[in-house]
Amino acid sequence: MALQSTVVGSYPKPPEEGGSFALRKTLQAWQRGEVGEAELAGARRDLAREIIAEQEAAGIDLVTDGHVWWDDILTPFAGNMAGFEIGGLLRWFDNNVYYRRPVCVDEIEWRGPSSIEAWRFAQSVAGGPVKAVIPGPVTFARLSVDEHYGDHGRFVEAIASVLAQEAFELEAAGARFIQIDEPALLGAPEDLELAKRAIGQASGQLEAATTILCTYFGDAKRLGAELFELPVDSFGLDFVAGPDNRELIASLPAGLGLQAGVVDARNTRLETTDEVAATIDDLASGVGADNLTVSPSAGLEFLPRDKAKAKLERLAQAAARVQG
Amino acid sequence: MTPVDLPGPGLWTTSVGSLPKPDYISSGRSRRARGEIDKAELVELERRATREWIEFQDSIGTDVLVDGEQYRGDMVAFFAEALPGLELGGLVRSYGIRYYRKPIATGAVGRDDAVTVEWWQYAQSLTNKPVKGMLTGPYTICDWSFNEHYASRRDFVLDLAKVIRDEALELERAGCRFIQIDEPAASTRMDELDLVIEGMEVVTEPLGAHTITHICYGDFHRAYPKMLDIPVDQIDLEFANSDFSLLDDFAANPFTKYIGLGISDAHSHDVEPVEGLAHGIRRSLEYLLPERTFVDPDCGLKTRSVDEAKGKLSNIAKAVEIVRGEL
Repeated sequence: MALQSTVVGSYPKPPEEGGSFALRKTLQAWQRGEVGEAELAGARRDLAREIIAEQEAAGIDLVTDGHVWWDDILTPFAGNMAGFEIGGLLRWFDNNVYYRRPVCVDEIEWRGPSSIEAWRFAQSVAGGPVKAVIPGPVTFARLSVDEHYGDHGRFVEAIASVLAQEAFELEAAGARFIQIDEPALLGAPEDLELAKRAIGQASGQLEAATTILCTYFGDAKRLGAELFELPVDSFGLDFVAGPDNRELIASLPAGLGLQAGVVDARNTRLETTDEVAATIDDLASGVGADNLTVSPSAGLEFLPRDKAKAKLERLAQAAARVQG
Repeated sequence: MTPVDLPGPGLWTTSVGSLPKPDYISSGRSRRARGEIDKAELVELERRATREWIEFQDSIGTDVLVDGEQYRGDMVAFFAEALPGLELGGLVRSYGIRYYRKPIATGAVGRDDAVTVEWWQYAQSLTNKPVKGMLTGPYTICDWSFNEHYASRRDFVLDLAKVIRDEALELERAGCRFIQIDEPAASTRMDELDLVIEGMEVVTEPLGAHTITHICYGDFHRAYPKMLDIPVDQIDLEFANSDFSLLDDFAANPFTKYIGLGISDAHSHDVEPVEGLAHGIRRSLEYLLPERTFVDPDCGLKTRSVDEAKGKLSNIAKAVEIVRGEL
């Protein structure tokens, strides 16, 4: 397969400068009880359709639903499992963005899919495959509070079994690409063995879907080459916040993919197409263009809409240029 | 250290900074955006709201008042709009449906005119009690902005620090005795705590006022006790939001500065009962000296309703009154 381009997940929800922010207006009206669930769902679908078209127009091969249905990547899942309550706001890693911390108060159980409906809609309006994104069990556990299990390993495995079911259902619904986000693993090398088992629960359920273990906001130096023993098909690494990842990929085993974050999803400065092409060219010479997918360094929701769009356009142009 | 010159045995009451805006401010802003009123009319509404908040704080016996920031939107954007070198970018989300215009450094940051002095003077003219001067710290402005200009975050922080220092000096010249330089981003990255300290040194070095910083939302347990090296007289922290778990850290490493003790959750709609708040103060006094303690909510109250904020502040005042009686 040739060099591909993708996004990590989230996408800015506001319109470009001067546009009408329909989703926010509808959410405000919904909070006041002035509109119902159906109208809110409609506003979300409209924005997802627009965002998918925008990614496609920029030239991105593998798109996402932009997380239009989510406020953060944990609460949609935690809120839909038995055993979790949703706690207070906490900073999302080192960003001026917040998430609600899930609090585990009882036995965790699957209660039905959390992300399938949104994925299915996104796939129905996209021209190509839509990547599904789920949180990874280690990140999920580390960003939550465990008041029930009292043992980190058991807590991770309980979460992993529910996420494995989600991955299974996503594949059954037709998802061909499933990304598992594990940014917290970068700071938790002691969880690597646990992660192998926990992520194996999900990937072991899958027949044909391509799995991507995605990290961002830093380098995987502390995990080292052992990262690549995690049972997935491809690894997402951030080369903007983690330039040292460049050394690590020398040990990426043949046949595994690299999803490389090469444009800064957290700063508005626009990289030139030349700059991005040089980075991609360098990575392609390391792992082979056929094994390489390029992306922004993280979800794009940290940026205003116009900057996110401009970055995607340059990313796709640079990828096309390297592809030749 | 600049000790505080206030009456009483300590346990003084204050606020962190922002207070909710009454409906007439929001509608005034919308009308201003539509061009239905002019700038002066909007400012008049902001002055009225400031006056009402000063009157309210005086009515419950607050010791060190805030102006309530009725004229500010976001604590970083407010400075970004006023400072050359920074401009406001497009909307980005912080959580849920909350969005803000994240500033962008597009050139070297400087300062033309005073940014906060006029509002401080107005608020101070309305009360005999001291009103805090409220500034956003250089590290937080850097951390919450995009950077298209500076080669390093340190360069960006140190330029901002000079600007905020000049503003603080001007507040001091106007008579301000309590100057708060908020660094809510300080506990975000442990490896940059030295940069927070370096920036704050530039700001507070020439000041004679009692200096305060407010820090929130982060990994306190890792930032403490190192955060005591931030060169300010007082650190204001949130306790309610973390069930007073920071007290465990104080047991191991005594808190050595004045403290702003946040005892009411700024992000909850509940107006906590007086007795529970008093219990929080009593627990804290096992580790803290009353003559070094200010009591306030966890954080700015701008996201609460006016009634919720008044309820919280009133109950804090009543709880402090009870515990003061027990000293």
